[in-house]
Amino acid sequence: MEQKYYANAPLPVRDDLAECHARALKRLSSAGTWYTGAERLMIAAESRNAKKCLYCAEQKEALSPNALKGEHDSSNELSKPTIEVIHRIVTDTSRLTPSWLEKIYEQGVTDAEYVEIIGVVTTTISLDTFARTIGIEDLTLPLPVEGEPSRIRPASATNNMSWVPTVDVSKATPEELGLYDQVNKNNVRRALSLVTAEAAGFFNLVDHQYLDGAQIHNVEYEANARAISRAQIELLSSRVSALNQCYY
Amino acid sequence: MARLRGNLQGHEGEFDIGVVTGASDGDIGIPNGTVLMEFADAAIGDDEDRLNMARANVVTEIGEKACVDAAGVIATFNAIDRVADSTGIPLEDWKEESTEDFREELGIEKFRELHLE
Repeated sequence: MEQKYYANAPLPVRDDLAECHARALKRLSSAGTWYTGAERLMIAAESRNAKKCLYCAEQKEALSPNALKGEHDSSNELSKPTIEVIHRIVTDTSRLTPSWLEKIYEQGVTDAEYVEIIGVVTTTISLDTFARTIGIEDLTLPLPVEGEPSRIRPASATNNMSWVPTVDVSKATPEELGLYDQVNKNNVRRALSLVTAEAAGFFNLVDHQYLDGAQIHNVEYEANARAISRAQIELLSSRVSALNQCYY
Repeated sequence: MARLRGNLQGHEGEFDIGVVTGASDGDIGIPNGTVLMEFADAAIGDDEDRLNMARANVVTEIGEKACVDAAGVIATFNAIDRVADSTGIPLEDWKEESTEDFREELGIEKFRELHLE
């Protein structure tokens, strides 16, 4: 039986939101495309650790994140470049550069692993931000689910758009795509498509927390199930992006 | 920001979207805009007392369901911004063109420069 989340939350969480968060937690704990469920949970846990990392705090304050030499605070079995990726995405993502990513690749993290890490970290951040914002503790990470990574790399993925290869759905096979689709033409929907399962899972979260992807470009669309207007939704989204210094 | 402006163009009234990036002060002109912006600021910040106060104000002014829906949007963009920033995806051509007139003015353009070597 699937666990019901937010039953005791101080605010009434919509059922579709609680169900989508349950799916996200199950996804975090299950084998992905390149990592096992246990490894994905270590990445998720490290995302939480990163918020308390003193070296990250010093880096964040530095004029350049490369100006300092030090070690991240971590106590798990993940490799150093993996920990560097997780911590930088959590604490200083607006200053990431292509040359930083090249150095990560040189240390053995593949482009597809990098994309899967992004998916796991950002899913965790989203769940944790929601919990804190409604006034509850972070949801407990589940136990890992046994299973092997699928290791499916879409053959049609190309370096045609961003720092990482992305997929054009018209050129990919159904097996490669799984549940992933490009429901709208936003580039961000393609950003994680090198790992299609991760892209599909992350944007399922987005569809429930923000807006159905098929409706995003219709700026007059009002989601009936929401208690705030489209203008209020876009005000919040724009404000958070400005605070995060996100150019996109 | 492009979608915010697009939506507001369909409404009557005066709106100042410069408030969103801090390029200007005051009230954006959207109902409950000030209380929602403070909620977003508190959620992205690390002051628990401020967040508790901001949450209580949203509940009082707009309601509990609105507070949860707002939290969902905040949670989404605190994550999706990182997807965009860590993959280096470019702006779509249409978005580049439709926001050209205010990106510099509102200070958004400087965010892109952070990713330069």
